[in-house]
Amino acid sequence: MNNLPEDCIAKILSLTTPLDVCRLSAVSSIFRSAAGSDDVWNHFLPADFPAGFAAPAGLPTRKQLFFSLVDNPLLINGTLLSFSLERKSGNKCYMMAARALNIVWGHEQRYWHWISLPNTRFGEVAELIMVWWLEITGKINITLLSDDTLYAAYFVFKWNHSPYGFRQPVETSLVLADTESTDNVVQPSMISLMQDSGGEEGQSPVLRRDGWYEVELGQFFKRRGDLGEIEMSLKETKGPYEKKGLIVYGIEIRPVP
Amino acid sequence: MSEGEMAIIKPEMMKSYIWLETADGSIQQVEQEVAMFCPMICQEVIQKGVGSSKNYAISLPQRVNPAMLSLIFDYCRFHQVPGRSNKERKVYDEKFIRMDTKRLCELTSAADSLQLKPLVDLTSRALARIIEGKTPEEIREIFHLPDDLTEEEKLEPLKNTMDDPRIRLLNRLYAKKRKELKEREKLKSVEVEEHVDERSVDDLLSFINGRDPKVVKTSKSKKKNKKRKEQKNGSSNGTCEALEKDLHNLDSKSQSAEIVDNTASCLGDVSNLPSMEDDIFTPKTEFEDGYIDDEIDPALKELLDREVEDFARRLNSSWVLSIGQERQPVNFSINGNGTSRRLTGPAAGHK
Repeated sequence: MNNLPEDCIAKILSLTTPLDVCRLSAVSSIFRSAAGSDDVWNHFLPADFPAGFAAPAGLPTRKQLFFSLVDNPLLINGTLLSFSLERKSGNKCYMMAARALNIVWGHEQRYWHWISLPNTRFGEVAELIMVWWLEITGKINITLLSDDTLYAAYFVFKWNHSPYGFRQPVETSLVLADTESTDNVVQPSMISLMQDSGGEEGQSPVLRRDGWYEVELGQFFKRRGDLGEIEMSLKETKGPYEKKGLIVYGIEIRPVP
Repeated sequence: MSEGEMAIIKPEMMKSYIWLETADGSIQQVEQEVAMFCPMICQEVIQKGVGSSKNYAISLPQRVNPAMLSLIFDYCRFHQVPGRSNKERKVYDEKFIRMDTKRLCELTSAADSLQLKPLVDLTSRALARIIEGKTPEEIREIFHLPDDLTEEEKLEPLKNTMDDPRIRLLNRLYAKKRKELKEREKLKSVEVEEHVDERSVDDLLSFINGRDPKVVKTSKSKKKNKKRKEQKNGSSNGTCEALEKDLHNLDSKSQSAEIVDNTASCLGDVSNLPSMEDDIFTPKTEFEDGYIDDEIDPALKELLDREVEDFARRLNSSWVLSIGQERQPVNFSINGNGTSRRLTGPAAGHK
């Protein structure tokens, strides 16, 4: 490879992964130079950004833009949706704010109230005061996502000082809303939002690095050319008991590692 | 012999040939349709009118040697036939690129200089498959590349490769190293003091134990060192529990991030990679932004320098290698106090 010009090396690097490129920039000086080139990182940045995307200022190289999008999710659509990239592959990730979700009774002050918490990327999160009918739904257009990637949706939440009513599992479902196949009845899965309530049923919540919990709502594979919306929901409407104390950050959608 | 004579003598040879000269002076001829498959040759023929006879052979770029040229023409000869199916071409391609790495590189270089994009794509993809997942050391070996980067330059990219709390350690080492290098220039004599080792270990332990970084004191007594050693050797469960509480109580972004980082690395280090502890001889550093504590006296420089390099080398071999695998072994799933925690992997940044 001594005689390969730098742009050939750059081309070869662009056919690997962001992870490989970073690692290989430690091989030799010509690799380091090729690994930092815009040609390589343009390849890892999405070919098409979501509507409303504006690259942050002050990032002259494409590599910097890539890592900025990995580490600092960007708000698009006002403060309802955040956009970022997955580190290893450059696939697109999104998070929908609680305000972007349809929270039944969310507008009623005696049931839910909207608060601002520090260190959250959206202006508001929803805090559950008390409700019998818990139903939270989110929708996202599948064309926003990266092709040929397996995605999972995560409900991101935490508890206030006195949660109640969540020892019982809640129903979650994730379905690709396809206008043609309306006869598809999807079986919801049952998950437990509390960690210690006998979690044999499905997924259990996991603590994230930002201090919030997340629980997987379901997975789907996005193929090139897929259209329609992914509908994700979480509900508990059957139990005759009140639910209290849930704080909803939003729903995050990112590739399965 | 002129072309005209050739035509008379061998009437059945209706093909025309293009003449090419490689950098080493050897001249060969190849069927026109094969040669014209290469954009660069095509351009020379059309724009400059050369290549039609031996005396006016097209000079090929230096990167094309006769052996590669012949390979390239094999490729062109196959692909320029219009009737072949995609599947046929694919099968041919797969067989074609089965050659040793050195030749693949030469071929890429040659094809690139002839602007033969499909072949460049093919060979580049083959080379990309070869280099994926390998460590820098391995790549240097396979391709006989010079090891011409400084330690600093080698450590730099690791920052971006993983969403891993040890990156912070690395950043600190890196910044420390950088500062060291600067200060080293000013210094002349270096003394190694005996308490250096203990201090380093102490710093290491306090980092691993993940005490609130703000509480870490700058000056340590030997008593404290011993205490911390005992603590470390004792129940890691207790430590984890305390840290979990710290985590939930803090609301400051950077603090909680740091605590989580320290917690995770504590858990990770304690349970997964005990050997790493021995290597992480980091001196005390300010945790907030990786800024280096100024009180490191010059006497420690040389030793620390060695330790950093050792760490870096180990990073290169064991950790960086683990980056290349599908799921790195450092998944911190620990039931320290009954809570299962899992880093949700290198996904969108969680801060």
